[in-house]
Amino acid sequence: MTQLQQPATTGPGSESPAPSVRQLTFQWAGGPAIPLLSVAIALVLGAIFVLLSGKDPIAAYSALIQGAFGTPYDITETIVSAIPLVLTGLSVAIAFRTGLFNIGAQGQLLVGAVCAGWAGSQFAGLPGVLLMPIVILFGIGGGAFYGGIVGLLKAVRGVNEVITTIMLNYTIVAVMHWLLQAGPMTAQNALGTPASTPIGAGARLPVIVPNELVLFSRLHAGVLLAAAAVVLFWFLLWRTPLGYQLRAVGLGSRAAAQAGIDPARHMVLVMAIAGGFAGLGGMIEVSGLFGRVYDGFASSYGFDAIAVALLGKNSPVGVVLAALLFGAFVHGGAYMQSHAAISSNLVAIIQSFVLFVIAAEALVRSLTRRRRRTPKPVEAIA
Amino acid sequence: MKRLLAFSVLAATIVASCATTGTPGPSASGSAATGAHPKVGLVTDVGGLNDKSFNSLADKGRKDAAAQLFVDTSVTESKQQADYVPNLTKYAQDKYDLVIGVGFLMQNAVWKVAKQFPNVKFAIIDGAPQDDAGATQNLPNVANLFFKEQEAGYLVGVIAATMAKNKVGAATHNTVCSMGGLPIPPVDRFIAGYQDAVKTISPDTKILNGYSQDFVDQQKGKEVGLKHIAAGCDILFQVAGGSGLGYIDAAKNAKVYAIGVDADQSAVAPGTVITSALKKVDVAVFQTIRSIRLGTFKAGDNSFNATNDGVGYGTLDKVVPADAKAAADKALADIKSGKITPKDTVQVK
Amino acid sequence: MTAEMFLGAAVLAAMLRLAAPIALAALGGVVTERSGVTNIALEASMLVGAFFGIVAADRTRNIWIAIGVAVLAGLLVALLHAYASITLRSDQIVSGMALNILALGLTTYLDYQLYGTTGTPPDLPGLPDVHLGFLSGLPYLGEAIGGQNSMVWVMALLVVVLQLFLFRTVPGLRLRAVGEHPRAAETVGIDVRRIRYVAVLASGALAALGGAYLSLGVAHSFTDGMTGGRGFIGLAAMIFGRWTPVGALAASLIFGYGNALSTSLQGATIGDVRVPVQLLGTLPYILTILAVAGFVGRSRPPAADGQPYEIEGHA
Repeated sequence: MTQLQQPATTGPGSESPAPSVRQLTFQWAGGPAIPLLSVAIALVLGAIFVLLSGKDPIAAYSALIQGAFGTPYDITETIVSAIPLVLTGLSVAIAFRTGLFNIGAQGQLLVGAVCAGWAGSQFAGLPGVLLMPIVILFGIGGGAFYGGIVGLLKAVRGVNEVITTIMLNYTIVAVMHWLLQAGPMTAQNALGTPASTPIGAGARLPVIVPNELVLFSRLHAGVLLAAAAVVLFWFLLWRTPLGYQLRAVGLGSRAAAQAGIDPARHMVLVMAIAGGFAGLGGMIEVSGLFGRVYDGFASSYGFDAIAVALLGKNSPVGVVLAALLFGAFVHGGAYMQSHAAISSNLVAIIQSFVLFVIAAEALVRSLTRRRRRTPKPVEAIA
Repeated sequence: MKRLLAFSVLAATIVASCATTGTPGPSASGSAATGAHPKVGLVTDVGGLNDKSFNSLADKGRKDAAAQLFVDTSVTESKQQADYVPNLTKYAQDKYDLVIGVGFLMQNAVWKVAKQFPNVKFAIIDGAPQDDAGATQNLPNVANLFFKEQEAGYLVGVIAATMAKNKVGAATHNTVCSMGGLPIPPVDRFIAGYQDAVKTISPDTKILNGYSQDFVDQQKGKEVGLKHIAAGCDILFQVAGGSGLGYIDAAKNAKVYAIGVDADQSAVAPGTVITSALKKVDVAVFQTIRSIRLGTFKAGDNSFNATNDGVGYGTLDKVVPADAKAAADKALADIKSGKITPKDTVQVK
Repeated sequence: MTAEMFLGAAVLAAMLRLAAPIALAALGGVVTERSGVTNIALEASMLVGAFFGIVAADRTRNIWIAIGVAVLAGLLVALLHAYASITLRSDQIVSGMALNILALGLTTYLDYQLYGTTGTPPDLPGLPDVHLGFLSGLPYLGEAIGGQNSMVWVMALLVVVLQLFLFRTVPGLRLRAVGEHPRAAETVGIDVRRIRYVAVLASGALAALGGAYLSLGVAHSFTDGMTGGRGFIGLAAMIFGRWTPVGALAASLIFGYGNALSTSLQGATIGDVRVPVQLLGTLPYILTILAVAGFVGRSRPPAADGQPYEIEGHA
């Protein structure tokens, strides 16, 4: 369950229904069955919609699945599409876990990309063993900085993070227009493509799938970085004292006070960490796919990340699976359009149904859930 | 753990079901999907098919070709720039005869994929293949479709200047203006030609310029329009896609004139839009598809300009006087003969 | 740079035009969050309001029916959110997000189906401007408010009405009570769920008015995604404005002012250097952050905001 804002006062007292058979049943049902059922219901609703628009739902869905997983190339492309969503999803998830709403993953990703792109071209001559870590650090650092501002403003001036993240998202977009069209990072380039100078070869993440295995695959070493980020997320939250504190804060400020957290420090730290994840995502896109920073190269990763985090229940495994689902929608959706002439907007509509039905899943949960006002022992949710 | 297991089961079921689904054939606008007809794929930029700009024009060209040239066509909208490569690749893997990419952001993507599929022909609208270092590298299977937007801008600039100079109709303040989406070359070339024409024909006409900083938001375009109209502008030239429609609307409300861009926009606001600077992307797409049909595909630079009717000026509103039309036609002839070379850099920023 | 560029009447007029849709969305946000429901689907209501308003204007050629249809569309979206959030007690963020994606996909899809690439037809009935002839003599005010669209005036009226309603009437007090202490409100006989339903529906209607203003009052046409995030800016304005109608208006005006500046300062120079036009685009956002950080600081949402409510004794 997510909290949009930190309530500054305590609300109504908590309720705790006594455990019952019904409750235990719901708890089992609240495991994997409900999200699967939700996806299934959503697909049925989507099929109805496709039918209403005069197209064949079977053809539509088989094209969707064929496009996302039909050939090894497609599978690698689905993963490639999922990678930035994993990182921005982790970014949003870690903030949610600690009671903050990070709508700013989009901006943090872009800042990370810009910083990584700048470093990669500035120090292009360096060998990979030096340049790659530099570029990774710049990516993470840029995003962490952009997230940290949000945390700082909230800690020092109490500014709600919803405001700052939305504003900062738009700000970096405008700044990038300037940087890449007529500003200091614009490459000297025929036809004036708004893009930065290409990064050095040492900063490019290599494709890790050989051509013999999958011809022309783009699956790059960024997937390894993403996997490392997932492990880091898990480790940070469940294996470090800091992580315990952060999760405690997310469960209610009274709990945090009892655990001795300084809320100000917590806000800055969490938003910086969240920004770092997103920034890494931006760096991976630049290093693994584009080799330079293109103006407007990532227009919806941050927004989708919110859905990914929520679908994934803010858990590392959940985020990965949800990101893969979205990646499948992206890559499969394109195939739906090209080979079954289904409008790409129908894919978006089906995606919204998936989300909507997932949201209703909470009905079951909320029937068995205690209001979170008192500290809970360490959660065992994966 | 349970969740992971369940999702794996789901995934396995999905993958297994792939084995039973046939390969859906390419869907065309009615023609049969057999090997006899060449297959043409169009990959759009991220603006969507309905961007009131290049994507929609390119799609029109595709549809015209499907209707008239006996080709099977298909279109894929790119949602993010990262989608360019897989969208192009899928068509190439399916052995399409021609794959067209829209926009200069696709230059590197087309370079990559065209090199991987030397037997597939490609075309880029507004670009040439660009390697990873950023250098242009023509390929034998890629046609670079370039447009001389400045020539189209020049022609409409001639019309605007003539009307402003002679204070025709509502154009009483001897001021013309333009609005781009963002100051990028495909936009600025239109404006550059426009301003060049105005300075040449009517040097004492005041010129204004602005940007909406958006290609979609009509309110932003309208605000720039209101600002220009308040400064006296009577002829507003929009080069901003969907946002430019707001610029035109400002002109309409103030009962002054506007000029459209890319497609013929006389129907957008009859009586307000006096002409349009045509960038015949649809014609370019159509002709490239036709060259596949006829076996006359020309790799490398293909210029679409005034000489081969690749750019021009659109339907003239009845308020446009005969001498303005005559001046535009003369300018067209001069451009064709090489007597006039419109500038391609903006003078009044 | 001149003072005119910052404070000219034209800039003020632009500020009002640009603030109006955001303020309407923000007002919707205030109403719903004051009742305890988070509605981030204001963008969705705005967008469907904009689209279906245009379609209705096209089909009926009657501006009042068009507005009515726009509001109806916004209400339907809000109803979905209300049902999900109040009855099903779903996660309100997920539900809101889903609706935003649905609205964008649906309106884009229908726009292409109905109007293809030629776009919406010209000469659609539009929201009339209000020309205050008696002000035309006044040098400054005349230009700033003398020619605003009717919806701008409706927005101003709604700010006053809602401010009075929320803070000076008993029903408004009940609504706020529902948002602060739903359980206590219930014990004194207030129907929490009904009030929340009404509040969410009202937010949909208000946001839809904002969308209708954009399509029927400003653009007189529809382009995909034309709301461009104004619903979210409205949310920010609501928080900035401390969940009051007047505050939401003030915040929207600040944002609108920054927006107006980014147009009016084009071409300005500092000394010899032109201000890059792309950087002007950051103005509304930077300005808003500075204003919030500098003058508003901490703002407290209603205590029960965003939390599904279980009726006592319900299974």
